[in-house]
Amino acid sequence: MEYKLVPSICSYCGCGCGVLFEVMDGQLVGTMPLKSHPVSQGKLCIKGWNLHEHVISEERLQTPLLKTNGALQEASWDASIQTTAERFKKIIAEHGPDSVAVLASAKVTNEENYLIQKFTRAVLGTNNVDHCARL
Amino acid sequence: MKDTVKKWLEEKQVDMFLGYKMVHGHALPYCFQADRLDEVDDLVVSRERYSLEKMATHIAAVYPEMKIGMLARDCNQRALKVLDIWDQLKKDSVTTFNVNCCPSPLKNHGDCSYLEPSPVGPVKVELGIDNNMSVEHAEHLDQKERFAHWMYEFSKCIKCYGCRNICPVCFCKDCSLEHPELIRSGGALPTEVPLFHLVRAAHMAGRCIDCGLCEDACPMDIPLRLLYRKVGSSVSDLFGYRPGIDEGKSPFNLIGDAPTTEPRPI
Amino acid sequence: MTNSIEEIEDAECIFLIGTNTSEAHPLIARRVMRAKEKGAKLIVADPRMIQLARFADVHVRQRLGSDVALLNGMMHIILKNGWQAAEYIANRTEGFEEFEETVMGYTPAKVEAITQVSIRDLEQMAEYYAAGSPSALLYAMGITQHTTGVDNVKSCCNLAMLCGNVGVRSGGVNPLRGQNNVQGACDMGCLPNVYPAYQPVTNEAAREKFSKAWGRELPGNAGLTITKMIPAMLEGTLKGLYVVGENPVLSDPDAHHVRSAFAKLEFLAVQDLYMTETACLADVVLPGVTCVEKSGTFTNTERRCQLLTQAIKPLGNARQDWEIISDLSTAMGYEMKYQNSEEIFEEMKQLTPSYAGMSYERLGLDGLFWPCPNSEHPGTPYLHKDTFTRGLGKFHPIGYKDPAEMPDAEYPYFLTTGRMFAHFHTGTMTRKSAHLHHEQKTGYVQMHTGDAKKLGVKTGEMVRLSTRRGEVEIAVVISDMAQEGTFYVPFHFAEASANVLTNSASDPVAGIPEFKVCAVRLDKIVHGENRK
Ligand code: SF4
Ligand code: SF4
Repeated sequence: MEYKLVPSICSYCGCGCGVLFEVMDGQLVGTMPLKSHPVSQGKLCIKGWNLHEHVISEERLQTPLLKTNGALQEASWDASIQTTAERFKKIIAEHGPDSVAVLASAKVTNEENYLIQKFTRAVLGTNNVDHCARL
Repeated sequence: MKDTVKKWLEEKQVDMFLGYKMVHGHALPYCFQADRLDEVDDLVVSRERYSLEKMATHIAAVYPEMKIGMLARDCNQRALKVLDIWDQLKKDSVTTFNVNCCPSPLKNHGDCSYLEPSPVGPVKVELGIDNNMSVEHAEHLDQKERFAHWMYEFSKCIKCYGCRNICPVCFCKDCSLEHPELIRSGGALPTEVPLFHLVRAAHMAGRCIDCGLCEDACPMDIPLRLLYRKVGSSVSDLFGYRPGIDEGKSPFNLIGDAPTTEPRPI
Repeated sequence: MTNSIEEIEDAECIFLIGTNTSEAHPLIARRVMRAKEKGAKLIVADPRMIQLARFADVHVRQRLGSDVALLNGMMHIILKNGWQAAEYIANRTEGFEEFEETVMGYTPAKVEAITQVSIRDLEQMAEYYAAGSPSALLYAMGITQHTTGVDNVKSCCNLAMLCGNVGVRSGGVNPLRGQNNVQGACDMGCLPNVYPAYQPVTNEAAREKFSKAWGRELPGNAGLTITKMIPAMLEGTLKGLYVVGENPVLSDPDAHHVRSAFAKLEFLAVQDLYMTETACLADVVLPGVTCVEKSGTFTNTERRCQLLTQAIKPLGNARQDWEIISDLSTAMGYEMKYQNSEEIFEEMKQLTPSYAGMSYERLGLDGLFWPCPNSEHPGTPYLHKDTFTRGLGKFHPIGYKDPAEMPDAEYPYFLTTGRMFAHFHTGTMTRKSAHLHHEQKTGYVQMHTGDAKKLGVKTGEMVRLSTRRGEVEIAVVISDMAQEGTFYVPFHFAEASANVLTNSASDPVAGIPEFKVCAVRLDKIVHGENRK
């Protein structure tokens, strides 16, 4: 039996409220406010209070999918990454680096966004990178 | 305190101990266990109050045999008593280490560890309700004025359900606040006033232990504690029962159909 | 935000424009309410009767898309009365004369005609805002999602500078970012024209710095914004796309158009948590993880960089997003090997001056505000304290322009879109949550009683809304929150998608589409009628 409360940040709106995730035996069972957090001061909105529910949703994707014969089918990580790399390489070889683009996310971490733009610029060789935040 | 807790864990008097530990200057609730005994040196009594008993009910729902130790102030003790009579967390499975209520000069204010209530702004005093007001004082306001003041407070509600979610003695499987025939769901804010709050207040009768966690969790500083205290005083007048203080079953355990008191699944 | 969230509580006047704060940024609404209860004046400019408008000292319902005129009108009155911060203007700003000339053209009578806000209310707003010391201005998408979005923002800045409210505690111009890490995504350079910390890609020195750090030649031409990507996809010049954690098929305006653009792609890779509308069109779908399954940092709307701690293992076979990106990079011949997110953070901060002084250890549970240039720096809760980043603050003369689409005989109503309290963005996350789903199961169109009477529709009735771009069938909700003549549709629901209707006309500078205004018509659904 293991029970812990892990401090973190709500991933919905831009307020950035402090939460505690309630974890029992490696399973996420609840969200509660971090009482002494400087932004939220131990309060949350309805979305924050229910943050754990989208994480444990049954609709979460758990395996890569690859289009084979016109339909998306479960595939291995290796095959999915390889296919993606080859397809991008092929398009760039034929049409130049500005024929590909990347949409980053206001939902993933700073570290990940940093890598996304680094990947776009240094690996794909284009500045075609944007995010959907203006939307 | 640390030695006692260590001893309890070592001698298997408890399988775990719920207390607090400092992390980067914040006291966070923490579950101490025998296999990590030296961590008990970090055990602290926190200024922040979390409902450790609510966490205990979550654990007991999955591990009914677990012997749980916890740090407890007066309010935790009252909550434990209510949870016991409603079969949510059996008395015998919990061992408490009692700590004093916070060093607040306001012990009279809430007879529990409610820390210095923050002073309330002048506009709130004028239009709304001072969170530090007593039930007696509130009752002296004239009825019309009182209604207007409460409506002001309720119409700030952002329907976060924080008051319910944090409540140590809210454990019903089906919550009336989500009953579509009682309270409409969705739409725009505020939620239906005063219905949402009065439905909750009515359901706190015979349950509310006046710990103040709801008000603490309310983003809009609505004086929920005062409201539930009034409900509590009516129950006490009618049935002579004060939840968490008086022994025995709540009068509400006895009326109506046999209530479902199985532990709420998490 | 130029200022921090907690400072809002101590403002003397708060001006909310284009933000339904209590539904979209509830924990900021808390601070607004606390300020109000401490005695601050509250001004709300919103066409709808939003919750905070109930508590406002003055609430005006400006006609949709008339914000520039409204703000110019306020500034006109402030100048006429000599309420401006003369010394501040003289010492800290430039471009005042030209700006003044433009504003003087916006007489209260003219502004009333454009905005439908009475002269009395306009004067009241101007007076409260100018008297507050400091006054905080808060805005959100109601300001930016217009073809004149940049003009609107500049007008907000003009107003704040005019009264000396920029660079002071509890004042400022405070855009409330809609998503948890928009600020971070921008700071990290996920924009087509800048590297991390807004270093321009066209700047030789910046390019050299990054080129050296990354060991690759880097392109010197700015890339495409998302609004330019869509036409490029349709024309066939953009052939491959990698989408991480976004759902552009639902979140972009003119959804039909976007769908056909995506269909033309040669290759689409989508990395997400769920089978989103966009993922359904993909050639490869890569399952990433939620914030609970990873460590890393988010930067909230007040520029506070905060640490996440991984609480559980990734679900099933899903993987950390940074691992997926690294593997893809390695597969393409550029090796990326990181042990953990902290290592990436350490690399990032070497290249990002505003984050240079941060470390996971220093972030702790309270985070740090950027700019934080070195490891002793305490972080910066409010910006532009003694001087503006650019030296002097610049006034911009801004004239009012109509929205791209105005109601006419064929499409006689205004349509606006927004959020409701229980859902978030395209609903991909919130609609999976049982409690949030309970609050609102599907989309609706909110309209004023007067309009409902005229059209003969009832609450709950399904009607057809159509614009020049598409149509949806949607249930009616009658509420006096809505302004007469203007319908409101929340955009979280795919089956009643607001963005089938919205206009993709966008701001020429920022590329933000005009989600907040378009022209619409409503038809009753006649029983047995053949569906188009
Ligand atoms: S709890 Fe609510 S207000 Fe706080 S960050 Fe999450 S969505 Fe925003
Ligand atoms: S905690 Fe306050 S704001 Fe939230 S639902 Fe309860 S009364 Fe409303």
